[in-house]
Amino acid sequence: MARMKFLCDVERCINCNGCVIACKQGNNIPVGINRRRVVAINEGRPGERSVSISCMHCSDAPCIAVCPVKAIYQREDGIVLVNKDICIGCGYCFMACPFGAPQFPSGQVFGARGAMDKCTFCAGGPVETFSEKERKLYGQNRIAEGKPPLCAAMCSTKALLAGDADVISDIYRKRAFQRGGGAGAWGWDKAYKGR
Amino acid sequence: MIGSNAAEAHPVAMQHVLYAKEVNNAPIIVVDPRFTRLAAKATDYVRIRPGTDTAFVMGLINQIVSRDWYDKEFVRTRVAGFPEMCKVASHYTPEVVEDITGVPASEVVRIAKLMATHRPGTVVWCMGGTQHSIGSSNTRAFCILQLVLGNMGKAGGGTNIFRGHDNVQGATDMCVLSHSLPGYYGIKDGSWKHWCQVWDVDYEWIKSRFHSKEYMNKKGFTLARWYEGVNQDDKINQYTPIKALIQWGCAGNSNSQMFKAAKAMNKLELVVIVDPFAPAMCEWGDKDNIYLLPCSSQYETSGSLTSTSRQFQWRFKVVDPVYESKDDYEIMAELVKRLGFADKFYKNIKKIPEDITREICKGTLTIGYNGALPERIKKHTLNWHTFDIDTLQAKGGPCDGEYYGLPWPCWTETHPGTPILYDISKPVAKGGLPFRARFGTKITYYDGRTENLLAAEGVANPGSQVKGGYPEFKDIVPGTNWKTDLSQKTIKEAIKRGMAPFGNARARCVVWTFPDQVPVHREPVHSPRPDLIAKYPTYEDKPDQYRVYTRFKSEQDPELVKKFPFVIITGRMVEHMGGGAETRSNKYLSELQPKVYAEINERTANNLGIRNGQMVWIESPEGGRIKVMAKVTDRVDEHTIFLPYHFAGQFEGKSMVDKYPEGLAPYAVGEPANIVTNYGYDIITQIQATKDGLCNVKPA
Repeated sequence: MARMKFLCDVERCINCNGCVIACKQGNNIPVGINRRRVVAINEGRPGERSVSISCMHCSDAPCIAVCPVKAIYQREDGIVLVNKDICIGCGYCFMACPFGAPQFPSGQVFGARGAMDKCTFCAGGPVETFSEKERKLYGQNRIAEGKPPLCAAMCSTKALLAGDADVISDIYRKRAFQRGGGAGAWGWDKAYKGR
Repeated sequence: MIGSNAAEAHPVAMQHVLYAKEVNNAPIIVVDPRFTRLAAKATDYVRIRPGTDTAFVMGLINQIVSRDWYDKEFVRTRVAGFPEMCKVASHYTPEVVEDITGVPASEVVRIAKLMATHRPGTVVWCMGGTQHSIGSSNTRAFCILQLVLGNMGKAGGGTNIFRGHDNVQGATDMCVLSHSLPGYYGIKDGSWKHWCQVWDVDYEWIKSRFHSKEYMNKKGFTLARWYEGVNQDDKINQYTPIKALIQWGCAGNSNSQMFKAAKAMNKLELVVIVDPFAPAMCEWGDKDNIYLLPCSSQYETSGSLTSTSRQFQWRFKVVDPVYESKDDYEIMAELVKRLGFADKFYKNIKKIPEDITREICKGTLTIGYNGALPERIKKHTLNWHTFDIDTLQAKGGPCDGEYYGLPWPCWTETHPGTPILYDISKPVAKGGLPFRARFGTKITYYDGRTENLLAAEGVANPGSQVKGGYPEFKDIVPGTNWKTDLSQKTIKEAIKRGMAPFGNARARCVVWTFPDQVPVHREPVHSPRPDLIAKYPTYEDKPDQYRVYTRFKSEQDPELVKKFPFVIITGRMVEHMGGGAETRSNKYLSELQPKVYAEINERTANNLGIRNGQMVWIESPEGGRIKVMAKVTDRVDEHTIFLPYHFAGQFEGKSMVDKYPEGLAPYAVGEPANIVTNYGYDIITQIQATKDGLCNVKPA
């Protein structure tokens, strides 16, 4: 059985925010809600890296564990979703999440009842698939269409990988192997200072 | 990659750059005054002082030649003016380069060796290379570097200039410029006659439309300095000031010293802006002389385009134009109709846009557009999946054996296109080419040496009837040459004989019509190094450069740096595009990059008492000033200030939002960086020098 995962290859991520825009535009997310964001570290200095972060769809998700109304659940393929009809918007999941994934809008489509919003892996939500209600509350259901999430599909350098963990880890393993002793290998700087 | 920040300006092309790094283990050498997001992905980063590219590259060439790392056979057979060039390059020792550019001498040697030991290599540049008073020398130095390394005409080699959008190459080929008719034909009498024949328009009638014959052959104003034709702050060489302006798909805030362009708006009798979004120019006028015509976006029309790699593609329409907008063809047709000469120019144009492409193909023989007919372009675009991703060649299918997008020159209706320029390993009929015999067959240089400009004996494409250099084809049809023979018999004859219509010559390192015959360093017009101004002064003033007096020497003041101690450079951010009218009107992009900022080095900021996020004034020597937020960062060094140039909606501290037509003001507003970019233009092209001016910074 597949387990869906994101993997951001930091050697490839160029901080272009294409994933963020694809997510927002494609799912019609209100301004101020960030299902996904790109974080830069060491900006402007050698060693600068950026990484695209969203809900990680954790295997043992802390948000599920703490939710007092059991609004958050995990699909068999590992995708963690929230039922917005049940969510009371208390914010416990926000406290528990190590990645700041849960978002709490107000007064707009997604936040009509103050419910929590987060990355759905473009898998819609717990209502009828492809229904108007699903699109409005959760956004697109690309998984049901057999497509990868918008963010990974639009990634300009294919840094952001999404899908079956076995498949994407294999892609990443091949890349790491090809990079070999050159670009990005751990310890390269120390072993071959100045080359 | 020099003067390019592809990670922000060309994110999709980064796939290929990263592929080279990861799979081929290619060193990615980034040369830039700023530690860009591209530099973050580089294996080697070289920080140079803005405007010193030529000195750095000539330094590399000097190392490659003097250490015997150059491609001797390539130089012997296919390069001209090599000894003259070497003599000039020998001045740029690593120590001299260090003094001019700030790059440590040992780095100059190391990078030269890196280039020499990793062949083939490619050189990528963008506006960081071109927008200087010596921009034309910079680009020539980049090409000479590739010649001495023998990196031309090879897969993985060449000079790859990343263009600003998908059809910049196409726009360039159409010569939307003041000094050439489409297809680089120039504006001599013969050029006009050629195009009159293509359009089927009487030459004498065209002539009668000009103020006098002189203006038919006189280079016009450029995009960089059109406003001088209105303001006349510098003396103009035209019988009248400019009275009307049509600005089509151009934001205005991309003009250096933009406040001067803004001033011109009130002096013009008529301004017409054609754009899908309201660009910066809409804010500037106080008079009722501006008309904004809404045109459709690229998704609401169709047509051919030409990419950076000279490949044609057909863009199919997705939806009809929304609201009252019209596509560019319709606006142009209506304009021509009202001007009263539609009957003359639409003789060949029945079906739009296919017949327009067909007419362009018919006339543009210089670069072999003639084989890229609309049917062929569409066939390629619709069958893109049948092409090999590495060789670009179709394997079977309807385009079997052709190269994707028929990269020009595509000499005949059956030619497969030329995927790599100047590649002599393939027959011309199969996409090979020698260097063009563009500049005669023989030259005597300034040092008295005479050289044959044709390629050496034995160097020609396979199957060529002449096994060596040969001049261009002419008089196959009497009185014409390969680029003016509209019957295309000359081109076909050349291909039949296995030869290139434009001849087989050497690439030249010496350009005898330029003020610097071999590229040399000259200090920017506004230089931060008074000591180097004396040693490497700029050019003499040019009294009539594209119809306007352009100052060089008289503008170069060694004292200027005392009042304006920082170098100002501008560039792109990934979220916004050009003048930003479109992207700043997108709520999501505006959310990501809502504000303009100035990048200031931490040390400089602390010395000036500026904190991160604080507002500062940036002042230019020309009198422009902007109020922007300080972003304290190590991206720039302590002498340099960086500004993204996409913003508008604020002008020298004043909000301009209420100047937009109702509902059209963009979400993200800010000061245009180009209010503070400096005077300074390239000696040949007059491109604005926005990457090496001076400025002052103080807390607001």
